Amino acid sequence: MIWKTAWKNVWRNKVRSLVVITSVTVGIFAGVFSIALMNGLIAQRVNDALDQEISHIQITGKDFRINNDAAIVVENPGNVLPVIASENGVAAFVERTMITGMISSAYKSTGVQIIGIDPQKEKQVFTLNTKLISGTGDYFEKESRFNLALVGEDLAKDLNLVRFSIDSSAIVKLKKDNIPAGVIEKLEPLKGRKFSGEKQFIKEMKSLFASGEAAKYGQLIRKAAWSFKVGARITLTFLDRDNNQVSAVFRITGLYDIANSVYEKSTIFVKSTDLKKLMGMPESSFNQIIIKTSKLEQVDQITGDLAEKLKGTEVISWKKLAPDLAMMTDMVQQFYLVFGVIILAALAFGIINTMLMVVLERTRELGMLTAIGMNKRKVFSMIMLESVFLSLTGGITGMILSYLFVSLSAHTGIDMSQYAQGFGALGYSAIVYPQISAGFFVVVTILIIITGIISSVYPAFKALKLNPIEAIRTE
Amino acid sequence: MKVLEIKNVSKIYNESEVQVNAVNNVTLDFNEAEFAAIVGPSGSGKTTLLNLIGGLDMPTSGEIIIDGTDLSSLRSSELIDFRMRNIGFVFQAYNLIPVLTAKENVEFIMSLQKWSKQDRDARTFELLKAVGLFERANSRPTKMSGGQQQRIAVARALASRPKFVLADEPTANLDSKSAATLLEIMEKLNHEEKITFIFSTHDARVVKMAHRVITLEDGKVVTDDVRE
Repeated sequence: MIWKTAWKNVWRNKVRSLVVITSVTVGIFAGVFSIALMNGLIAQRVNDALDQEISHIQITGKDFRINNDAAIVVENPGNVLPVIASENGVAAFVERTMITGMISSAYKSTGVQIIGIDPQKEKQVFTLNTKLISGTGDYFEKESRFNLALVGEDLAKDLNLVRFSIDSSAIVKLKKDNIPAGVIEKLEPLKGRKFSGEKQFIKEMKSLFASGEAAKYGQLIRKAAWSFKVGARITLTFLDRDNNQVSAVFRITGLYDIANSVYEKSTIFVKSTDLKKLMGMPESSFNQIIIKTSKLEQVDQITGDLAEKLKGTEVISWKKLAPDLAMMTDMVQQFYLVFGVIILAALAFGIINTMLMVVLERTRELGMLTAIGMNKRKVFSMIMLESVFLSLTGGITGMILSYLFVSLSAHTGIDMSQYAQGFGALGYSAIVYPQISAGFFVVVTILIIITGIISSVYPAFKALKLNPIEAIRTE
Repeated sequence: MKVLEIKNVSKIYNESEVQVNAVNNVTLDFNEAEFAAIVGPSGSGKTTLLNLIGGLDMPTSGEIIIDGTDLSSLRSSELIDFRMRNIGFVFQAYNLIPVLTAKENVEFIMSLQKWSKQDRDARTFELLKAVGLFERANSRPTKMSGGQQQRIAVARALASRPKFVLADEPTANLDSKSAATLLEIMEKLNHEEKITFIFSTHDARVVKMAHRVITLEDGKVVTDDVRE
């Protein structure tokens, strides 16, 4: 009866209860959705970094990471590789050759990390082969008599290898994308011109449109105008093992596009056989072994095991390789805690205020209940239950809303393309897929119940202090 | 059989450094199935005496013994439990729980006493029939007239078969027709249930129906008439 009465009491003043429930709903929804969004952003960043950039564990020769010297190779590869292969929890591993050098196009030069890979084996550890921009070539698939290099799109832009032009093929693409004829006509002044810089193209393109049109069609126009000459040539310059400068012409086998602009601009891939030949390295030598584990949770244990077994090498987990990612993963938990406490505190004050009003309004009734024999524990429980029902109703509604929105946006993604450059510079994807675990909802429900209980304590104590004689007195 | 003994009970309030003797050395006994009215002018101590009898207030001196238990010997929590099991209350302003139906209001105390649902239903419907509101069992008090609400309050007071029912000015807010109906019902239930009714009142109709009339003046019992 206490439960039933408490529930009915929640709806005694429908407007007030609905206001409180709505504010709890909005607070919980905002909190859960923001956390899901941040979770998605961070999980994506971590997954991208692990799948495309660093993987789970790296093994190098001593001091290779500090000196970045291609001459420091993994010693005794004949012993090392079987140890890794027999380690439990290792899903795949791949050897790499690495050197720092210069990349030059006909227009510009810049410093890069040149990574020599075995393209087929690499697919077992990284997903870079799936990040190729369509129409720019392939992932070392075709046999070629030339040295081949896989280059990031942003690096290609920096080297002026990517052009922007409104030519006939761009017009066809725009028509295919259902861009209105009036908009296409406005692009007339750009026809026949080739822009080597994206910024310049966008600036001139925007000057032709009203701001609304530019915002609406800008991305599609940029995409249609984008062009790259397949097989473009670049020159790589670096020092070989004997510190002699080596320059070699490479053809771009394809352009890759990942969310991390910094990585794209600084990392190119070539076949390790080509690189070793140019560096004068023996076929069996390599600078780095990259390991993918079956489960992320096994990384620390496998890292420890291998470090123990492979003396004379450096075995480093992704958390040490990318401490920023590890810190972000840990820090975000603290952030959730602070965020949660703020939301729940706001929720608690709202409920305390409402419940104090409830107790004040029902002085006579609460006094009467004590008079007719409802003991203090039951009065306390009733007020507490009302508070819990109030917060839980709002909380559950908020969580259902959050679940629906998170599920929907986890499927479709939230497009933040307008901030793509900024996101890319930080290594984040512009399409965010919010995610949250089922366990999180359980934790939030428990926290809401606890908040409801804590919020009820003061009002309930006020109720206990009421004198039942008040109930008998006539107003 | 005595259900209530009041022995030399006094209640003194200190108001602005002035002592007010609200109840002054009152001694009364009430037997099973009495239908007694406490009358007297405003400020004569009627409500204070009812509060003391009901264990809502403690006497400055004297003893109140209900069914052999001295109220002053009970701790606060025991007193609340004792009230629930032994005393029914009817208030002037009805004081029903507005969010509950008539049936739920009546069975509220029974559920606090953990009666089985079957017993609760049986007793609730018996009382709702007795107060003539069986058809309104599922109505909320806010949808009822004052007279009907007070009849529900009487049914609630009797629900757990208390030793006696205290009613403070039960007809004060009712029109004459509703008051007459309520009094008839109370008298009938007093007779049928053999439960003592003690009410404070100014209402001449109530006094007329009472089997015993106790008159208070300045906190003292001045007359105690038992009618045959």
